[in-house]
Amino acid sequence: MLKLLYCECLKLRRRPLFFAAPALSALIPLGCALFLPDFREFTNGAQAVDGMMSTLFQMSAYLLLMPTLVVLAANLFFAEQDNDTLKNLLTVPVSKSALTMAKTALLFFFSIAFMAVGGLAVLAIVMAAGWEPVGFWRLFFVGIGEGILMWAGALPCVLLVVLLNRSYIVSVVVTFFYTAVNYIFGMSDYFIMQPLGINPGTLLPGTLAFRWFFQYLDISDAGTEMAELLERISPYFVTTSQAFLVITIESAAFLILIALVYKRQSC
Amino acid sequence: MSDYVIETCGLTKKYGEQISVSDLSMHVRKGRIYGLLGRNGAGKTTTMRMLLGLTMPTSGEVKILGRPLHGNEKNILPRTGSLIESPGFYPNLTGTENLEIFARLRGLKGSKYIRDALEVVNLPYRDKKLFSQYSLGMKQRLAIALAVMHNPELLILDEPINGLDPIGIAEMRGFIRGLCDDAGKTILISSHILSEISLLADDVGIIDHGVLLEEESLEKLEAKNGKYFRFTVSNAPLAANLLQSRLGIQRVKADNAHELTVRDLHLDAGAAVRLFVDAGLSVSDAHLYENTLEDYFKQVTGGEGIA
Repeated sequence: MLKLLYCECLKLRRRPLFFAAPALSALIPLGCALFLPDFREFTNGAQAVDGMMSTLFQMSAYLLLMPTLVVLAANLFFAEQDNDTLKNLLTVPVSKSALTMAKTALLFFFSIAFMAVGGLAVLAIVMAAGWEPVGFWRLFFVGIGEGILMWAGALPCVLLVVLLNRSYIVSVVVTFFYTAVNYIFGMSDYFIMQPLGINPGTLLPGTLAFRWFFQYLDISDAGTEMAELLERISPYFVTTSQAFLVITIESAAFLILIALVYKRQSC
Repeated sequence: MSDYVIETCGLTKKYGEQISVSDLSMHVRKGRIYGLLGRNGAGKTTTMRMLLGLTMPTSGEVKILGRPLHGNEKNILPRTGSLIESPGFYPNLTGTENLEIFARLRGLKGSKYIRDALEVVNLPYRDKKLFSQYSLGMKQRLAIALAVMHNPELLILDEPINGLDPIGIAEMRGFIRGLCDDAGKTILISSHILSEISLLADDVGIIDHGVLLEEESLEKLEAKNGKYFRFTVSNAPLAANLLQSRLGIQRVKADNAHELTVRDLHLDAGAAVRLFVDAGLSVSDAHLYENTLEDYFKQVTGGEGIA
Protein backbone atom coordinates (compact mmCIF):
# COMPACT_ATOMS: atom_id res chain seq x y z
CA MET A 1 0.00 0.00 0.00
CA LEU A 2 2.81 2.41 0.88
CA LYS A 3 4.54 1.46 -2.35
CA LEU A 4 1.39 2.27 -4.29
CA LEU A 5 0.97 5.57 -2.48
CA TYR A 6 4.57 6.48 -3.25
CA CYS A 7 4.03 5.58 -6.90
CA GLU A 8 0.93 7.78 -6.98
CA CYS A 9 3.18 10.63 -5.84
CA LEU A 10 5.78 9.76 -8.49
CA LYS A 11 3.10 10.03 -11.17
CA LEU A 12 2.60 13.68 -10.19
CA ARG A 13 6.07 14.76 -11.32
CA ARG A 14 5.94 17.84 -13.56
CA ARG A 15 2.40 18.56 -12.47
CA PRO A 16 3.04 21.79 -10.60
CA LEU A 17 -0.67 22.50 -10.22
CA PHE A 18 -1.09 19.57 -7.86
CA PHE A 19 1.65 20.88 -5.59
CA ALA A 20 0.56 24.49 -5.96
CA ALA A 21 -3.05 23.66 -5.05
CA PRO A 22 -2.43 23.68 -1.27
CA ALA A 23 -1.19 27.25 -1.70
CA LEU A 24 -4.76 28.18 -2.63
CA SER A 25 -5.47 27.69 1.03
CA ALA A 26 -3.39 30.73 1.86
CA LEU A 27 -5.34 32.95 -0.55
CA ILE A 28 -8.35 33.66 1.64
CA PRO A 29 -6.45 34.47 4.86
CA LEU A 30 -4.13 36.68 2.81
CA GLY A 31 -7.07 38.39 1.13
CA CYS A 32 -8.72 39.00 4.47
CA ALA A 33 -5.52 40.41 5.91
CA LEU A 34 -5.00 42.75 3.02
CA PHE A 35 -8.48 43.92 2.18
CA LEU A 36 -10.91 43.37 5.06
CA PRO A 37 -11.40 46.17 7.60
CA ASP A 38 -12.01 43.53 10.33
CA PHE A 39 -8.33 42.68 10.29
CA ARG A 40 -7.39 46.22 11.21
CA GLU A 41 -9.79 46.12 14.17
CA PHE A 42 -8.03 43.25 15.91
CA THR A 43 -6.41 44.46 19.10
CA ASN A 44 -4.30 41.44 19.99
CA GLY A 45 -2.82 38.21 18.59
CA ALA A 46 -5.50 35.94 20.09
CA GLN A 47 -8.25 37.89 18.30
CA ALA A 48 -6.32 37.89 15.03
CA VAL A 49 -5.60 34.16 15.19
CA ASP A 50 -9.21 33.40 16.00
CA GLY A 51 -10.66 35.65 13.32
CA MET A 52 -8.36 34.45 10.57
CA MET A 53 -8.56 30.78 11.46
CA SER A 54 -12.35 31.12 11.49
CA THR A 55 -12.11 32.46 7.93
CA LEU A 56 -9.86 29.56 6.99
CA PHE A 57 -12.34 27.05 8.45
CA GLN A 58 -15.43 28.58 6.94
CA MET A 59 -14.19 29.81 3.59
CA SER A 60 -11.07 27.97 2.48
CA ALA A 61 -12.19 24.53 3.63
CA TYR A 62 -15.74 24.75 2.30
CA LEU A 63 -15.28 26.76 -0.86
CA LEU A 64 -11.78 25.80 -2.00
CA LEU A 65 -10.74 22.50 -0.46
CA MET A 66 -13.90 20.56 -1.29
CA PRO A 67 -13.97 21.34 -5.05
CA THR A 68 -10.19 21.06 -5.34
CA LEU A 69 -10.37 17.59 -3.81
CA VAL A 70 -12.96 16.41 -6.28
CA VAL A 71 -11.21 17.90 -9.30
CA LEU A 72 -7.97 16.22 -8.19
CA ALA A 73 -9.85 12.96 -7.63
CA ALA A 74 -11.14 13.13 -11.21
CA ASN A 75 -7.56 13.61 -12.42
CA LEU A 76 -6.20 10.77 -10.32
CA PHE A 77 -8.93 8.28 -11.12
CA PHE A 78 -9.10 9.05 -14.84
CA ALA A 79 -5.30 9.08 -15.25
CA GLU A 80 -5.03 5.33 -15.70
CA GLN A 81 -7.78 5.23 -18.29
CA ASP A 82 -6.63 8.35 -20.12
CA ASN A 83 -3.06 7.06 -20.36
CA ASP A 84 -4.03 3.42 -20.84
CA THR A 85 -1.83 2.40 -17.93
CA LEU A 86 -4.41 0.37 -16.03
CA LYS A 87 -3.51 -2.80 -17.95
CA ASN A 88 0.14 -2.38 -16.95
CA LEU A 89 -0.83 -2.01 -13.31
CA LEU A 90 -3.27 -4.91 -13.30
CA THR A 91 -0.67 -7.24 -14.80
CA VAL A 92 1.89 -6.40 -12.07
CA PRO A 93 -0.57 -7.35 -10.43
CA VAL A 94 -2.05 -4.40 -8.54
CA SER A 95 -5.68 -4.77 -7.55
CA LYS A 96 -8.14 -2.05 -8.43
CA SER A 97 -9.19 -1.88 -4.77
CA ALA A 98 -5.60 -1.19 -3.68
CA LEU A 99 -5.29 1.41 -6.40
CA THR A 100 -8.47 3.10 -5.16
CA MET A 101 -7.15 3.15 -1.61
CA ALA A 102 -3.84 4.64 -2.74
CA LYS A 103 -5.56 7.40 -4.69
CA THR A 104 -7.94 8.30 -1.87
CA ALA A 105 -5.05 8.18 0.63
CA LEU A 106 -3.23 10.70 -1.54
CA LEU A 107 -6.32 12.94 -1.40
CA PHE A 108 -6.37 12.50 2.38
CA PHE A 109 -2.81 13.79 2.69
CA PHE A 110 -3.60 16.57 0.25
CA SER A 111 -6.46 17.72 2.53
CA ILE A 112 -4.17 17.80 5.52
CA ALA A 113 -1.50 19.67 3.55
CA PHE A 114 -4.11 22.16 2.31
CA MET A 115 -5.29 23.03 5.80
CA ALA A 116 -1.75 23.03 7.18
CA VAL A 117 -0.60 25.51 4.52
CA GLY A 118 -3.61 27.70 5.27
CA GLY A 119 -2.90 27.56 9.00
CA LEU A 120 0.77 28.39 8.53
CA ALA A 121 -0.18 31.29 6.26
CA VAL A 122 -2.33 32.66 9.08
CA LEU A 123 0.57 32.22 11.50
CA ALA A 124 2.88 34.08 9.14
CA ILE A 125 0.42 36.95 8.70
CA VAL A 126 -0.21 37.27 12.44
CA MET A 127 3.49 37.27 13.22
CA ALA A 128 4.23 39.69 10.40
CA ALA A 129 1.70 42.05 11.95
CA GLY A 130 3.73 41.92 15.18
CA TRP A 131 1.26 39.99 17.27
CA GLU A 132 1.88 36.95 19.41
CA PRO A 133 -0.06 33.99 17.94
CA VAL A 134 -1.91 33.10 21.11
CA GLY A 135 -3.95 29.89 20.82
CA PHE A 136 -2.71 29.27 17.28
CA TRP A 137 -1.53 25.66 17.59
CA ARG A 138 -4.80 24.39 19.04
CA LEU A 139 -6.69 25.89 16.09
CA PHE A 140 -4.02 24.66 13.70
CA PHE A 141 -4.82 21.08 14.70
CA VAL A 142 -8.56 21.80 14.57
CA GLY A 143 -7.85 22.90 10.98
CA ILE A 144 -6.10 19.60 10.26
CA GLY A 145 -9.15 17.82 11.70
CA GLU A 146 -11.42 19.87 9.49
CA GLY A 147 -9.29 18.89 6.50
CA ILE A 148 -9.95 15.24 7.35
CA LEU A 149 -13.68 15.93 7.73
CA MET A 150 -13.71 17.64 4.33
CA TRP A 151 -11.84 14.73 2.76
CA ALA A 152 -14.48 12.34 4.10
CA GLY A 153 -17.14 14.77 2.95
CA ALA A 154 -15.70 14.80 -0.57
CA LEU A 155 -15.91 11.01 -0.91
CA PRO A 156 -19.59 10.90 -2.02
CA CYS A 157 -18.66 13.32 -4.78
CA VAL A 158 -15.59 11.25 -5.67
CA LEU A 159 -17.92 8.26 -5.93
CA LEU A 160 -20.06 10.19 -8.40
CA VAL A 161 -17.01 11.20 -10.39
CA VAL A 162 -15.83 7.58 -10.63
CA LEU A 163 -19.35 6.47 -11.47
CA LEU A 164 -19.60 9.04 -14.27
CA ASN A 165 -16.36 7.63 -15.67
CA ARG A 166 -14.35 10.04 -17.81
CA SER A 167 -16.99 12.72 -18.02
CA TYR A 168 -14.93 15.68 -16.80
CA ILE A 169 -17.60 18.29 -17.53
CA VAL A 170 -20.34 16.49 -15.63
CA SER A 171 -17.87 15.85 -12.82
CA VAL A 172 -17.05 19.54 -12.53
CA VAL A 173 -20.76 20.49 -12.53
CA VAL A 174 -21.50 17.91 -9.85
CA THR A 175 -18.54 19.15 -7.82
CA PHE A 176 -19.62 22.76 -7.77
CA PHE A 177 -23.23 21.86 -7.04
CA TYR A 178 -22.10 19.65 -4.17
CA THR A 179 -19.78 22.38 -2.85
CA ALA A 180 -22.57 24.94 -2.87
CA VAL A 181 -25.04 22.61 -1.17
CA ASN A 182 -22.47 21.61 1.41
CA TYR A 183 -21.66 25.25 2.19
CA ILE A 184 -25.27 26.39 2.39
CA PHE A 185 -26.36 23.44 4.52
CA GLY A 186 -23.25 23.82 6.67
CA MET A 187 -24.24 27.36 7.55
CA SER A 188 -27.97 26.74 7.92
CA ASP A 189 -29.58 26.70 11.36
CA TYR A 190 -32.09 24.10 10.20
CA PHE A 191 -29.39 21.52 9.52
CA ILE A 192 -27.03 22.54 12.30
CA MET A 193 -29.70 22.32 14.99
CA GLN A 194 -30.33 18.63 14.74
CA PRO A 195 -29.41 16.07 17.38
CA LEU A 196 -26.64 13.55 16.74
CA GLY A 197 -28.24 10.69 14.84
CA ILE A 198 -29.27 9.59 11.39
CA ASN A 199 -30.25 12.98 9.98
CA PRO A 200 -28.78 15.45 7.48
CA GLY A 201 -27.29 17.53 10.30
CA THR A 202 -25.10 14.62 11.29
CA LEU A 203 -24.50 12.94 7.96
CA LEU A 204 -23.73 15.97 5.81
CA PRO A 205 -20.02 16.78 6.08
CA GLY A 206 -20.47 20.54 5.96
CA THR A 207 -22.90 20.60 8.87
CA LEU A 208 -20.98 18.08 10.93
CA ALA A 209 -17.72 20.00 10.43
CA PHE A 210 -19.40 23.24 11.53
CA ARG A 211 -20.88 21.59 14.64
CA TRP A 212 -17.42 20.37 15.52
CA PHE A 213 -14.97 23.21 14.81
CA PHE A 214 -17.17 26.11 15.91
CA GLN A 215 -16.82 25.23 19.61
CA TYR A 216 -13.05 25.76 19.38
CA LEU A 217 -13.34 29.38 18.27
CA ASP A 218 -13.16 32.00 20.95
CA ILE A 219 -16.03 34.36 20.27
CA SER A 220 -16.28 35.89 23.74
CA ASP A 221 -15.35 39.29 22.28
CA ALA A 222 -17.75 38.98 19.36
CA GLY A 223 -20.96 40.93 19.03
CA THR A 224 -24.45 40.10 20.27
CA GLU A 225 -25.36 38.41 16.99
CA MET A 226 -22.55 35.89 17.40
CA ALA A 227 -23.41 35.34 21.06
CA GLU A 228 -27.01 34.56 20.09
CA LEU A 229 -25.82 32.13 17.43
CA LEU A 230 -23.56 30.41 19.94
CA GLU A 231 -26.38 30.10 22.42
CA ARG A 232 -28.65 28.65 19.76
CA ILE A 233 -26.32 26.07 18.35
CA SER A 234 -24.10 25.09 21.28
CA PRO A 235 -26.45 22.27 22.44
CA TYR A 236 -25.86 20.68 19.02
CA PHE A 237 -22.07 20.72 19.06
CA VAL A 238 -20.47 17.32 18.59
CA THR A 239 -17.37 16.10 20.38
CA THR A 240 -14.21 15.16 18.50
CA SER A 241 -14.82 11.44 19.04
CA GLN A 242 -18.44 11.74 17.85
CA ALA A 243 -17.45 13.69 14.74
CA PHE A 244 -14.65 11.31 13.81
CA LEU A 245 -16.73 8.22 14.52
CA VAL A 246 -19.37 9.47 12.07
CA ILE A 247 -16.84 10.24 9.33
CA THR A 248 -14.98 6.98 9.89
CA ILE A 249 -18.19 5.04 9.24
CA GLU A 250 -19.13 7.29 6.32
CA SER A 251 -15.71 7.17 4.70
CA ALA A 252 -15.45 3.38 5.12
CA ALA A 253 -18.80 2.98 3.35
CA PHE A 254 -17.89 5.35 0.53
CA LEU A 255 -14.41 3.91 0.07
CA ILE A 256 -15.92 0.46 -0.38
CA LEU A 257 -18.43 1.82 -2.87
CA ILE A 258 -15.74 3.71 -4.81
CA ALA A 259 -13.58 0.57 -4.92
CA LEU A 260 -16.53 -1.51 -6.12
CA VAL A 261 -17.48 0.94 -8.87
CA TYR A 262 -13.86 1.34 -9.99
CA LYS A 263 -13.44 -2.44 -10.00
CA ARG A 264 -16.45 -2.93 -12.24
CA GLN A 265 -15.15 -0.53 -14.85
CA SER A 266 -13.28 -2.24 -17.65
CA CYS A 267 -9.70 -1.30 -18.37
CA MET B 1 3.39 -30.94 -14.99
CA SER B 2 2.25 -30.31 -18.54
CA ASP B 3 4.76 -29.11 -21.13
CA TYR B 4 2.44 -26.31 -22.01
CA VAL B 5 3.14 -22.90 -20.56
CA ILE B 6 -0.19 -21.66 -21.82
CA GLU B 7 -3.14 -23.97 -22.17
CA THR B 8 -6.70 -22.88 -22.74
CA CYS B 9 -9.75 -25.06 -22.84
CA GLY B 10 -12.96 -23.95 -24.52
CA LEU B 11 -12.14 -20.29 -23.94
CA THR B 12 -15.08 -18.14 -24.99
CA LYS B 13 -15.80 -14.44 -24.72
CA LYS B 14 -19.15 -12.95 -25.61
CA TYR B 15 -20.12 -9.29 -25.54
CA GLY B 16 -23.87 -9.48 -25.46
CA GLU B 17 -24.83 -11.51 -28.50
CA GLN B 18 -21.52 -10.94 -30.23
CA ILE B 19 -18.99 -13.74 -29.88
CA SER B 20 -15.48 -12.37 -29.80
CA VAL B 21 -13.66 -15.61 -29.04
CA SER B 22 -15.28 -18.99 -29.41
CA ASP B 23 -14.32 -22.26 -27.78
CA LEU B 24 -10.61 -21.56 -28.17
CA SER B 25 -8.21 -24.28 -27.05
CA MET B 26 -4.63 -23.28 -27.59
CA HIS B 27 -1.39 -24.85 -26.46
CA VAL B 28 1.84 -22.93 -26.11
CA ARG B 29 4.87 -25.10 -25.52
CA LYS B 30 7.71 -24.22 -23.17
CA GLY B 31 10.67 -22.44 -24.74
CA ARG B 32 8.89 -21.84 -28.04
CA ILE B 33 7.60 -18.81 -29.88
CA TYR B 34 3.93 -19.21 -30.64
CA GLY B 35 2.55 -16.90 -33.29
CA LEU B 36 -1.13 -16.13 -33.10
CA LEU B 37 -2.04 -15.09 -36.60
CA GLY B 38 -5.26 -13.45 -37.61
CA ARG B 39 -6.78 -10.46 -39.31
CA ASN B 40 -7.68 -7.32 -37.43
CA GLY B 41 -10.69 -8.08 -35.23
CA ALA B 42 -10.11 -11.84 -35.37
CA GLY B 43 -10.00 -12.09 -31.55
CA LYS B 44 -6.23 -12.04 -30.93
CA THR B 45 -6.21 -9.20 -28.43
CA THR B 46 -9.29 -10.47 -26.58
CA THR B 47 -7.60 -13.85 -26.26
CA MET B 48 -4.44 -12.26 -24.90
CA ARG B 49 -6.39 -10.11 -22.49
CA MET B 50 -8.09 -13.21 -21.15
CA LEU B 51 -4.71 -14.90 -20.76
CA LEU B 52 -3.64 -12.02 -18.53
CA GLY B 53 -6.85 -11.77 -16.54
CA LEU B 54 -7.63 -8.33 -17.99
CA THR B 55 -10.85 -9.62 -19.51
CA MET B 56 -12.96 -12.25 -17.81
CA PRO B 57 -13.87 -15.14 -20.11
CA THR B 58 -17.54 -15.93 -20.53
CA SER B 59 -16.63 -19.59 -20.25
CA GLY B 60 -13.62 -21.86 -20.50
CA GLU B 61 -10.40 -22.16 -18.59
CA VAL B 62 -6.95 -20.63 -18.83
CA LYS B 63 -3.91 -22.39 -17.44
CA ILE B 64 -0.65 -20.48 -17.31
CA LEU B 65 2.61 -22.02 -16.14
CA GLY B 66 0.74 -25.14 -15.16
CA ARG B 67 -1.87 -23.49 -12.93
CA PRO B 68 -5.35 -22.12 -13.53
CA LEU B 69 -5.00 -18.35 -13.94
CA HIS B 70 -8.15 -17.60 -11.98
CA GLY B 71 -7.22 -17.46 -8.30
CA ASN B 72 -3.47 -17.68 -8.96
CA GLU B 73 -2.91 -14.25 -10.49
CA LYS B 74 -0.52 -13.17 -7.72
CA ASN B 75 1.71 -16.12 -8.45
CA ILE B 76 1.41 -16.20 -12.22
CA LEU B 77 1.41 -12.55 -13.33
CA PRO B 78 4.78 -11.63 -11.78
CA ARG B 79 6.29 -14.41 -13.92
CA THR B 80 4.70 -12.95 -17.04
CA GLY B 81 5.59 -9.93 -19.13
CA SER B 82 3.11 -8.41 -21.50
CA LEU B 83 2.42 -5.80 -24.10
CA ILE B 84 -1.24 -5.49 -24.94
CA GLU B 85 -2.51 -3.15 -27.66
CA SER B 86 -0.89 0.27 -27.62
CA PRO B 87 1.84 1.22 -25.15
CA GLY B 88 0.35 2.89 -22.07
CA PHE B 89 2.54 5.18 -19.98
CA TYR B 90 2.33 8.47 -18.09
CA PRO B 91 2.96 11.28 -20.59
CA ASN B 92 4.42 13.70 -18.04
CA LEU B 93 7.23 11.29 -17.13
CA THR B 94 10.33 10.19 -18.97
CA GLY B 95 10.78 6.59 -20.09
CA THR B 96 13.06 5.85 -17.15
CA GLU B 97 10.65 7.44 -14.68
CA ASN B 98 7.79 5.42 -16.09
CA LEU B 99 9.78 2.21 -15.70
CA GLU B 100 10.78 3.23 -12.17
CA ILE B 101 7.13 3.23 -11.13
CA PHE B 102 6.53 -0.29 -12.41
CA ALA B 103 9.89 -1.55 -11.12
CA ARG B 104 8.98 -0.31 -7.67
CA LEU B 105 5.55 -1.95 -7.84
CA ARG B 106 7.18 -5.20 -8.93
CA GLY B 107 9.61 -4.97 -6.03
CA LEU B 108 12.69 -4.64 -8.26
CA LYS B 109 15.43 -2.87 -6.37
CA GLY B 110 18.18 -0.78 -7.92
CA SER B 111 18.51 0.75 -11.35
CA LYS B 112 20.05 -2.32 -12.99
CA TYR B 113 16.75 -3.77 -14.15
CA ILE B 114 15.65 -0.52 -15.75
CA ARG B 115 19.03 0.17 -17.30
CA ASP B 116 19.21 -3.34 -18.78
CA ALA B 117 15.66 -3.26 -20.09
CA LEU B 118 16.21 0.09 -21.79
CA GLU B 119 19.49 -1.11 -23.22
CA VAL B 120 17.98 -4.15 -24.93
CA VAL B 121 15.44 -1.96 -26.72
CA ASN B 122 18.02 0.71 -27.56
CA LEU B 123 16.51 3.47 -25.48
CA PRO B 124 18.73 5.75 -23.40
CA TYR B 125 18.71 5.54 -19.61
CA ARG B 126 17.84 8.77 -17.79
CA ASP B 127 16.97 10.55 -21.01
CA LYS B 128 15.15 13.84 -20.42
CA LYS B 129 12.62 13.28 -23.16
CA LEU B 130 9.09 12.88 -21.84
CA PHE B 131 6.94 9.95 -22.95
CA SER B 132 4.55 12.41 -24.61
CA GLN B 133 7.42 13.46 -26.90
CA TYR B 134 8.27 9.89 -27.92
CA SER B 135 7.72 8.64 -31.46
CA LEU B 136 5.43 5.64 -31.93
CA GLY B 137 8.45 3.38 -32.35
CA MET B 138 10.04 4.65 -29.12
CA LYS B 139 6.77 4.10 -27.28
CA GLN B 140 6.64 0.55 -28.57
CA ARG B 141 10.24 -0.05 -27.47
CA LEU B 142 9.49 1.27 -24.01
CA ALA B 143 6.51 -1.08 -23.76
CA ILE B 144 8.77 -4.00 -24.67
CA ALA B 145 11.27 -2.83 -22.06
CA LEU B 146 8.49 -2.87 -19.47
CA ALA B 147 7.48 -6.37 -20.52
CA VAL B 148 11.00 -7.81 -20.12
CA MET B 149 12.27 -5.67 -17.23
CA HIS B 150 11.50 -8.23 -14.52
CA ASN B 151 12.95 -11.16 -16.47
CA PRO B 152 9.67 -13.09 -16.85
CA GLU B 153 9.43 -16.71 -17.96
CA LEU B 154 6.56 -15.99 -20.30
CA LEU B 155 6.04 -13.06 -22.62
CA ILE B 156 2.68 -12.20 -24.14
CA LEU B 157 3.20 -9.64 -26.87
CA ASP B 158 0.31 -8.24 -28.85
CA GLU B 159 1.54 -6.91 -32.20
CA PRO B 160 4.97 -5.93 -30.81
CA ILE B 161 6.34 -4.58 -34.09
CA ASN B 162 3.58 -2.01 -34.53
CA GLY B 163 5.06 1.38 -35.24
CA LEU B 164 8.62 0.17 -35.70
CA ASP B 165 10.64 1.09 -38.77
CA PRO B 166 12.09 -1.73 -40.93
CA ILE B 167 15.40 -1.71 -39.08
CA GLY B 168 13.56 -1.64 -35.77
CA ILE B 169 11.43 -4.59 -36.89
CA ALA B 170 14.52 -6.62 -37.77
CA GLU B 171 16.15 -5.69 -34.45
CA MET B 172 13.01 -6.59 -32.52
CA ARG B 173 12.74 -9.89 -34.35
CA GLY B 174 16.34 -10.72 -33.42
CA PHE B 175 15.72 -9.63 -29.86
CA ILE B 176 12.59 -11.76 -29.48
CA ARG B 177 14.29 -14.74 -31.10
CA GLY B 178 17.22 -14.30 -28.71
CA LEU B 179 14.92 -14.22 -25.69
CA CYS B 180 13.59 -17.58 -26.74
CA ASP B 181 16.79 -19.24 -27.94
CA ASP B 182 19.29 -17.84 -25.45
CA ALA B 183 17.17 -17.13 -22.39
CA GLY B 184 14.72 -20.01 -22.81
CA LYS B 185 11.66 -17.82 -22.57
CA THR B 186 8.29 -18.84 -23.87
CA ILE B 187 6.75 -16.19 -26.08
CA LEU B 188 3.24 -15.75 -27.37
CA ILE B 189 3.18 -13.16 -30.08
CA SER B 190 0.23 -11.99 -32.12
CA SER B 191 0.29 -10.36 -35.49
CA HIS B 192 -1.80 -9.75 -38.54
CA ILE B 193 1.41 -9.66 -40.58
CA LEU B 194 1.90 -13.14 -41.87
CA SER B 195 5.51 -12.69 -42.95
CA GLU B 196 6.45 -11.69 -39.41
CA ILE B 197 4.90 -14.79 -37.92
CA SER B 198 6.53 -17.01 -40.53
CA LEU B 199 9.92 -15.44 -39.80
CA LEU B 200 9.65 -15.62 -36.04
CA ALA B 201 7.30 -18.30 -34.77
CA ASP B 202 8.01 -21.93 -34.01
CA ASP B 203 4.33 -22.76 -33.67
CA VAL B 204 1.43 -21.02 -35.33
CA GLY B 205 -2.20 -20.65 -34.36
CA ILE B 206 -4.54 -19.27 -37.01
CA ILE B 207 -7.51 -17.43 -35.58
CA ASP B 208 -10.42 -16.07 -37.57
CA HIS B 209 -13.73 -14.69 -36.33
CA GLY B 210 -12.80 -15.78 -32.82
CA VAL B 211 -12.20 -19.39 -33.78
CA LEU B 212 -8.80 -21.07 -33.67
CA LEU B 213 -8.82 -22.74 -37.06
CA GLU B 214 -5.46 -24.41 -36.95
CA GLU B 215 -2.64 -24.93 -34.49
CA GLU B 216 0.52 -26.47 -35.81
CA SER B 217 4.28 -26.10 -35.79
CA LEU B 218 5.55 -23.82 -38.53
CA GLU B 219 7.59 -26.73 -39.83
CA LYS B 220 4.50 -28.86 -40.35
CA LEU B 221 2.54 -25.99 -41.80
CA GLU B 222 5.28 -25.36 -44.31
CA ALA B 223 5.45 -29.07 -45.12
CA LYS B 224 1.72 -29.04 -45.75
CA ASN B 225 2.12 -26.20 -48.13
CA GLY B 226 5.27 -27.24 -49.91
CA LYS B 227 6.08 -27.42 -53.56
CA TYR B 228 4.03 -29.22 -56.20
CA PHE B 229 3.97 -29.68 -59.96
CA ARG B 230 1.05 -28.69 -62.08
CA PHE B 231 0.57 -29.83 -65.67
CA THR B 232 -2.02 -28.70 -68.16
CA VAL B 233 -2.56 -31.54 -70.59
CA SER B 234 -5.20 -32.68 -73.08
CA ASN B 235 -6.32 -35.56 -70.83
CA ALA B 236 -5.49 -35.19 -67.15
CA PRO B 237 -6.94 -38.53 -65.88
CA LEU B 238 -4.91 -40.45 -68.48
CA ALA B 239 -1.79 -38.45 -67.63
CA ALA B 240 -2.26 -39.26 -63.94
CA ASN B 241 -2.58 -42.92 -64.75
CA LEU B 242 0.60 -42.82 -66.84
CA LEU B 243 2.62 -41.19 -64.05
CA GLN B 244 1.50 -43.76 -61.52
CA SER B 245 1.85 -46.84 -63.71
CA ARG B 246 4.97 -45.97 -65.73
CA LEU B 247 7.00 -43.77 -63.37
CA GLY B 248 5.71 -45.07 -60.03
CA ILE B 249 4.81 -41.53 -58.90
CA GLN B 250 2.40 -41.27 -55.97
CA ARG B 251 0.27 -38.29 -54.80
CA VAL B 252 -1.00 -37.53 -58.25
CA LYS B 253 -4.39 -35.94 -58.71
CA ALA B 254 -6.35 -34.89 -61.77
CA ASP B 255 -8.02 -31.70 -60.63
CA ASN B 256 -10.24 -31.59 -63.70
CA ALA B 257 -10.16 -32.82 -67.31
CA HIS B 258 -7.00 -30.88 -68.18
CA GLU B 259 -5.18 -30.04 -64.97
CA LEU B 260 -3.00 -32.38 -63.00
CA THR B 261 -1.31 -31.82 -59.62
CA VAL B 262 1.67 -33.86 -58.50
CA ARG B 263 2.87 -33.48 -54.92
CA ASP B 264 5.57 -36.13 -55.16
CA LEU B 265 8.71 -34.08 -55.70
CA HIS B 266 10.73 -37.10 -56.87
CA LEU B 267 9.17 -36.54 -60.25
CA ASP B 268 11.49 -35.62 -63.10
CA ALA B 269 9.37 -33.04 -64.90
CA GLY B 270 11.23 -33.55 -68.22
CA ALA B 271 10.61 -37.28 -68.11
CA ALA B 272 6.97 -36.71 -67.34
CA VAL B 273 6.52 -34.35 -70.31
CA ARG B 274 8.26 -36.85 -72.62
CA LEU B 275 5.98 -39.60 -71.31
CA PHE B 276 2.86 -37.52 -71.99
CA VAL B 277 4.02 -36.58 -75.51
CA ASP B 278 4.95 -40.19 -76.33
CA ALA B 279 1.46 -41.25 -75.23
CA GLY B 280 -0.05 -38.74 -77.68
CA LEU B 281 -1.08 -36.13 -75.13
CA SER B 282 -0.53 -32.47 -75.74
CA VAL B 283 1.18 -30.53 -72.93
CA SER B 284 0.41 -26.82 -72.82
CA ASP B 285 1.92 -25.99 -69.39
CA ALA B 286 4.23 -27.50 -66.82
CA HIS B 287 5.04 -25.56 -63.65
CA LEU B 288 6.66 -26.06 -60.29
CA TYR B 289 4.54 -24.15 -57.74
CA GLU B 290 5.45 -23.16 -54.22
CA ASN B 291 2.49 -22.49 -51.98
CA THR B 292 3.13 -19.78 -49.40
CA LEU B 293 1.79 -19.57 -45.89
CA GLU B 294 -0.43 -16.80 -47.18
CA ASP B 295 -2.04 -19.18 -49.66
CA TYR B 296 -2.61 -21.56 -46.82
CA PHE B 297 -4.02 -18.79 -44.64
CA LYS B 298 -6.45 -17.92 -47.43
CA GLN B 299 -7.42 -21.53 -47.76
CA VAL B 300 -7.97 -22.03 -44.02
CA THR B 301 -9.84 -18.78 -43.44
CA GLY B 302 -12.03 -19.16 -46.44
CA GLY B 303 -10.39 -17.15 -49.13
CA GLU B 304 -9.53 -13.68 -47.86
CA GLY B 305 -5.89 -12.74 -47.68
CA ILE B 306 -3.83 -11.08 -45.00
CA ALA B 307 -1.15 -8.40 -45.00
